[in-house]
Amino acid sequence: MTNGGQSLQGWGFVTPALLWTIAFFVVPFLVMGAMSLATLEGRTLIWGVSLSNYAEIAEKAYIWRAFLVSLEITLTVTVVSVLLAYPLAWIIAFRVPAEWQRLALLLAVLPFWTSYVVRSYAWLLVLAREGMINQAMLGIGLISEPITLANTRFATVTGFVHFFVMLLTLTIYANLIQLSPNYRRAAMDLGASAFQTFRYVILPLTLPGVVTGAFLTFVLCIGDYVTPQILGGNSELTVPQVIMVQLGRRADFPLASALAIALMAIVTLAYIFSARWLRLDRL
Amino acid sequence: MRVLPWLYFVLAFAFIYLPVGTLVLFSFQDGILPVPPFNGPSLRWYSEVAADDDLISALANSLLIATASSAVAVVLGFCAAYGLARHVLPGSVFMRGLLIAPLTVSYLIIGLGLLIVLTRAGLGLSLLTVAIGHVVINLPLAFAIIYASMGAQQQNAERAARDLGAGEAQVVWLVTVPMVLPAIAAAFFLSVTFSWDEFIIAFLLTRFDVTLPVEIWSLLRSGLSPRLNAVGSLVFLVSVTAVILLELFVFRKRRP
Amino acid sequence: MTAPVSITSLNHWFGGFHALKDIDLDIRAGEYITLLGPSGCGKTTLLSVLGGFITPTQGTVSIGGRDMTRVAPAKRPTTTMFQDYALFPHMNLRDNVSFGLRMAGVDKSARYKRAGAMLELVSLADAALKRPHELSGGQRQRVALARALAVEPDVLLLDEPLGALDLKLRRAMQDELKSIQRQLGTTFVHVTHDQEEAMAIADQIVVMNAGSIEDQGAPARVYREPATLFAADFMGEMNHIPATAGPDGVVTPFGALPQRVDGPKAVACIRPEAIKLGDGPVQIGGAKIKEAAFFGTYIRAHLVPDVAPDVILVAHLPPGDLPETGARMTLSAEPQAFHVYAVGD
Repeated sequence: MTNGGQSLQGWGFVTPALLWTIAFFVVPFLVMGAMSLATLEGRTLIWGVSLSNYAEIAEKAYIWRAFLVSLEITLTVTVVSVLLAYPLAWIIAFRVPAEWQRLALLLAVLPFWTSYVVRSYAWLLVLAREGMINQAMLGIGLISEPITLANTRFATVTGFVHFFVMLLTLTIYANLIQLSPNYRRAAMDLGASAFQTFRYVILPLTLPGVVTGAFLTFVLCIGDYVTPQILGGNSELTVPQVIMVQLGRRADFPLASALAIALMAIVTLAYIFSARWLRLDRL
Repeated sequence: MRVLPWLYFVLAFAFIYLPVGTLVLFSFQDGILPVPPFNGPSLRWYSEVAADDDLISALANSLLIATASSAVAVVLGFCAAYGLARHVLPGSVFMRGLLIAPLTVSYLIIGLGLLIVLTRAGLGLSLLTVAIGHVVINLPLAFAIIYASMGAQQQNAERAARDLGAGEAQVVWLVTVPMVLPAIAAAFFLSVTFSWDEFIIAFLLTRFDVTLPVEIWSLLRSGLSPRLNAVGSLVFLVSVTAVILLELFVFRKRRP
Repeated sequence: MTAPVSITSLNHWFGGFHALKDIDLDIRAGEYITLLGPSGCGKTTLLSVLGGFITPTQGTVSIGGRDMTRVAPAKRPTTTMFQDYALFPHMNLRDNVSFGLRMAGVDKSARYKRAGAMLELVSLADAALKRPHELSGGQRQRVALARALAVEPDVLLLDEPLGALDLKLRRAMQDELKSIQRQLGTTFVHVTHDQEEAMAIADQIVVMNAGSIEDQGAPARVYREPATLFAADFMGEMNHIPATAGPDGVVTPFGALPQRVDGPKAVACIRPEAIKLGDGPVQIGGAKIKEAAFFGTYIRAHLVPDVAPDVILVAHLPPGDLPETGARMTLSAEPQAFHVYAVGD
């Protein structure tokens, strides 16, 4: 077989997937970019090169505030999730006996597979005025009347943290378990305490994995519409909620596109910021 | 000190299972509100779900889209992985990056882009458009999983097969596919669960026939109801079944 | 800097698997000892017990006269050189080597000075600021040695330290390990499955099999007069000749031998190099060459003796012209070259 024939065959295998990705991902993305530069006059779309949509983002308080809200929520969720997930992954990797680890991990992330909508709804049940938590706290006399938990930022963050703790437990566990057990043994053998072993050996070695998981959390969290919509109510809007408002009420596709591009710009910034430690191939 | 980790372990599991536990428990509620006190158990909400034609057809739509879009994603992903892993092509790094790229973009943005293009192209929104969107999000995953499994070991087996006179199609079908079957199965199951659960693309790209998450979303507007608990529990059950099958038949076998 | 080790009535089970059986072992201070055996014989488990990574089910370990059976690895006067070296990849060599001193609270300038001296000892002083991944396998091995020795342990435990190196480098490192051990006087306990390595390096060899100690002694003694059939076979190639108990020892196809055994059946063993050409006290007699190959300092030949056609003897013949298949020669040996072990039915 000649080399030319071989590479022709190779193209034959690759082309369908490439065409699909170009037609349904690259082209839509470019059209969206063009759309973000178009304007809407009444209900008529006028193509062109105008930055008016981006100007609107900067000018309208309810929009730029949404960016602040999204960033605050996302950063809180990322930090809290990492802090909660690391110890859990550690316990599963180093305290749970080897033959039970796989099961413990499977169980720890099983609710991860509940659908997004259903999971947020389930948190609504738990956090509602008549829900589990209020009833339990009333029952033991911690509070005298129900407190508002649902439809707050707290509820949104809780719903997110729940999801990302599972995701991060999975990624951090995978990082911990692939380290040679001899690193821990060597550190302890040389006199390190459990905390010193963590601080000077295990944490630095797992940092790329943690940053990768945190980046993933950031990307998924900042782009999510369902969780803040169900749990946060309309007390404050995140960027995806504002995008959906443009699509629904006013069919303002140019502004929605500009918002989407701006959101992607933030994700790109986050990528650049964390690129030093990122190992996307470790996912 | 020995107790502390286990205390944390138990609390973490309580947190992880609190919403799902509540969801499933109150799906058996004998009353109209899925909140304490618990009365029951009763199966009345499950029978209501079974009698709800909208829900049942949404469920059927979801299953159809999940299996069809996953099958397409896995076939395209396998071919691309084979082409890039086995043939030296100019720009292969760029092509790999392009195929993986949708993974880094949020579903909302992918859905928005498709919505703009498909409506501009005059294609009506339907289950087909949702399936197209789901292939877009699952193709990178399928490609990455299958590509990662194509190592030197398979390549040597393929060379041996060619050496023994197999044609290209025979090599792919008789050697490569069986050898990377665990990865293909893993990619398929994962795609099914992602498509099955996916909401925002399905929400943006459907109009009359909807998928289950979209139907659940519209039910949510009428507030808390044990009926939603029952549907949600069923959805969870399907996903968990897929995950457990994956664990039992794919990952367990892979271990030495 | 050095200490004796004493292991008494040690037993360890992994679940239902009896990994270490009634181990009693005394190691003198400053000795270089190797634990030798096939994989799964318990040698690495025994090393882990010494290092404190495994608490034995029964028995005691004392180091320098103090009971260490239940003392954590960090608090023991032992350090381990791991098979995969376990060098911390995110630290340079100086930080790796001074890690133990840092944990002990030694200030920076003192520990860097010591790390420099240790790297000097293993001839890597120039590479102090490199990371482990920039080094070759042999260099990593030296860093691991320097790191383990930097905290001045009484006993250094080495888990197959040369396993990942190619043959030539192994031989060079054996000499280096031995010379460093002589220089420092630290007790070294070295696990290996390579009997040549064990003989090249050790003051004492402990041969292990299936969780028990089969033989223990100086290399020459263990090679020449192995205590058990297993040790005899493991230390090098052995010819097995069936024998039965006789009035004054054992009877073999080649005549009577003075060695006595318990039990009716026995096997007489002789090393290939102990079989001589020509006549001698024990007459093996005429034999036919089955095949022969040139090995440089000797010719390794498979021979079928006339009196015992079922036995194939391996002999090292003087290097000369390669004998043809079917060539005949006369063989003999000294009676004390044979070692006789009782065998069950």
